[in-house]
Amino acid sequence: MRSRKPIDAPQPEAPATGRKRLAIVTTIWKYLSHAQHMGDRFLVGYPIEGAWRKPPIDVVSLYVDQKPADDQSAERAASFGFKVYPTIAEALRCGGDRLAVDAVLIIGEHGDYPRNEKGQVLYPRYEFFKQAVDVFEADGRAVPVFNDKHLSYSFAKAKAMVDASKRLNFPFLAGSSLPVTWRLPAVDLPYGAVVEDALMVGVGGSDPMDYHALEAMQSVLERRRGGETGVRRVRMVTGDAVWKAGAEGRWSRELLGAALSRTDSLQGLSVQDGRPQALAEGDEIARIAQDPAAYMIEYNDGTHATLLMLNGVLADYNLAVRVQGRPDPLSMQFLLPPTPNVAYSAPFMNYVARMFETGRAAYPVERTMLVCGMLESCLDSRMAGGKPLDTPFLAVRYESPRESLFART
Amino acid sequence: MDPTEPPPHEFTRRAAIGAMAAGAVAATSRGRAEEPAAAIKARPRIAAIATCYYKTSHGQGIIDRFMDGYGWKGGHHRPALDVVSLYVDQRPKGDLTDERLARHPNLRLYPTIAEALTRGTGTLDVDGVAIIGEHGDYLRDDRGRTHYPRYEFFKQVVDVFRKTGKTAPVFNDKHLSWSWDWCKEMVADARELNFPFLAGSSLPLTWRIPEYETPPDAGIEEAVCVGYGGVDSYDFHGLESLQCFVERRRGGETGVKAVEAIRGEDVWKTLDPAAGGSARTKALFDSCLCRSFRLTSPREGYGNAFPTLADAAKLVADPYLYRIHYNDGLVGSLYMMNGLVADFTVALKLEGDPAIRSTQLYLCGISPNQTLPNFFSPLANHIESMFVTGVAPYPVERTLLTSGVVCKAVDLMAEKRRMVETPDMATIAYKVAGESQYMRS
Repeated sequence: MRSRKPIDAPQPEAPATGRKRLAIVTTIWKYLSHAQHMGDRFLVGYPIEGAWRKPPIDVVSLYVDQKPADDQSAERAASFGFKVYPTIAEALRCGGDRLAVDAVLIIGEHGDYPRNEKGQVLYPRYEFFKQAVDVFEADGRAVPVFNDKHLSYSFAKAKAMVDASKRLNFPFLAGSSLPVTWRLPAVDLPYGAVVEDALMVGVGGSDPMDYHALEAMQSVLERRRGGETGVRRVRMVTGDAVWKAGAEGRWSRELLGAALSRTDSLQGLSVQDGRPQALAEGDEIARIAQDPAAYMIEYNDGTHATLLMLNGVLADYNLAVRVQGRPDPLSMQFLLPPTPNVAYSAPFMNYVARMFETGRAAYPVERTMLVCGMLESCLDSRMAGGKPLDTPFLAVRYESPRESLFART
Repeated sequence: MDPTEPPPHEFTRRAAIGAMAAGAVAATSRGRAEEPAAAIKARPRIAAIATCYYKTSHGQGIIDRFMDGYGWKGGHHRPALDVVSLYVDQRPKGDLTDERLARHPNLRLYPTIAEALTRGTGTLDVDGVAIIGEHGDYLRDDRGRTHYPRYEFFKQVVDVFRKTGKTAPVFNDKHLSWSWDWCKEMVADARELNFPFLAGSSLPLTWRIPEYETPPDAGIEEAVCVGYGGVDSYDFHGLESLQCFVERRRGGETGVKAVEAIRGEDVWKTLDPAAGGSARTKALFDSCLCRSFRLTSPREGYGNAFPTLADAAKLVADPYLYRIHYNDGLVGSLYMMNGLVADFTVALKLEGDPAIRSTQLYLCGISPNQTLPNFFSPLANHIESMFVTGVAPYPVERTLLTSGVVCKAVDLMAEKRRMVETPDMATIAYKVAGESQYMRS
């Protein structure tokens, strides 16, 4: 990325009222899209800690990449008195000749974009981000940026984004809502505990939903002793090879049982007649799973973790961790309350709003960058027939916040 | 609290069950006290008495959990009991009785409740009775009450107890009866025959989001629950949601001296200071809405927006409010807001605490994409605890009181009266154990 002018530390040019001016940059704004449920939080507020909060932030400009028939951007702009601009640069400059906002919210999720050979949707998050950075560089000022979900389908692009935020010294927050949503029960890995093994179960397609599951798991495992050290090897297998890997001890049936004990959405016979099931026992799970996949992660410090994507088995996200010194695994559900409230996006956007207000990101963007790399490398392993893949480039070290940041108040 | 620390209550019950299984505990059931300790089974044998047994019925939700186990504290819990007999009153299309009998060979179906309890022996031959009188095709009267035969089922159980001279712990799902006199009679029978009696809703026991319990000995200035559903149905769940918080106030439960019911436009006035309503009540109501996961957006095309009172009035076609006037002066309000919310939330204003404390009593498993109504799991677990230890984990007086409020409120609305004094509910005082009993591990 270019660097034309030296950039100082962020100096938000807030109006005298102290209110921040926000530009939203998104792929698409329609009902139930991420832009709608996250962008609306800055327009109509959101529930947090038992009260309705309207952050001191004004949406002043919007860029929308695609406008389908059910586009809501024009209605939002008219209702809330901001303008939709034809380019990202114009949105950030509010039609003027220099950066005229205090924060940028990038939501590159939903919309009609092609997929690559790995099955990843080519959302233009890197491209959006780069256009924002170009404005920062050209105008000699940088402001906090939030990027929804993974930074990019490409680790190289994700790394370039994080590098740019370091170089230009602006707060940068990204990722999934799962790390900060409610958990059932409201537990976390004790900070500094030794993790012996971890297993996440999730559902949905690749690459949207596997990413959420991996980042949820990462947000817990990064608290382990020694902090995050990065990933040295990954392997992804699908179909019967998933069960074979379990039989070979590459992932733990005990942890599968602990994770499944947290689900509220078992499929199969539970759908048929309502009965609870112990699906970690026996072969029923292999019978009902549709195109199962195992994402096996080996960290630099030797810790192993596995994500099982088990469509047909359940419909929520659950984690089990074997912790040294604890007789039973730690386990939890990452709760995704239903549409249209999607209550999980309220605590998430509250962290974003707080970053915009204070200039400080509550947790490191390296988490999201590492997960981008894990996911891309897992998909590469799958493309290579499920062979293990060394990932020296994923030696990403970072320190997790000591305080648990998931919603619990 | 520190989310990495296991809650303290985790160990108590396990310890109790472990001790029981090891034979280290003498008969603690008052009903079985006359029996020799050697006769106590490590695995109690249970009779399940249900109105019906089809998918999503309470019978299925609870009895299946006894027989098939359920996810619990990070594992698949298999209850330390055996359901040995079953009575099912109605078997409509979708009935699962035959499937369950086939899959659980030790389970037998009996044509009468008495036979389910005696199992051909001429005497009581089970160690516990679960009565689940919810769902099924029963008379709905002109006051909107469904005549589920909980009292009738209970009386048949008590008849066996009287005839055989033996008793066993009894669980009754939901409120005791649609008739207040019958509710009182059921509790009186349990006291007279001295058997453990547990009843009520799963709401007090399910997850709370966020985790919250009334602090020990807290003075409560006001309490509000916002819920949804029908009269003589989900209103009971709302009342139990409210009661499980307020009964822990300083001095414990003191009884209810009057019940008030308001239906229609007047409900909104109670929330509008300009119309004589209370700003504090409105603040508690608002806090409840901010805990909902299923709050109807007043703006079309917006997924989650906060409603004004005018918005709420447009969304709720039939608002109704129960106000419970307690002996010690506390007033609790249940706002039933069909169309505005689809969950149960509670807010408290405590003495000496400027903040409003609020939480959702989360009904896991009934949202779209979910399949397992696991709010039954902590209920099944507490019932199991009673069957194993012979001690009801919380007082039936809670449910007697909430049943009474439902009965009185239904009468008030049918008779278009606003308030009634309730001298026979003013004597229902009780205290609960210090330990919280909702699911949080």
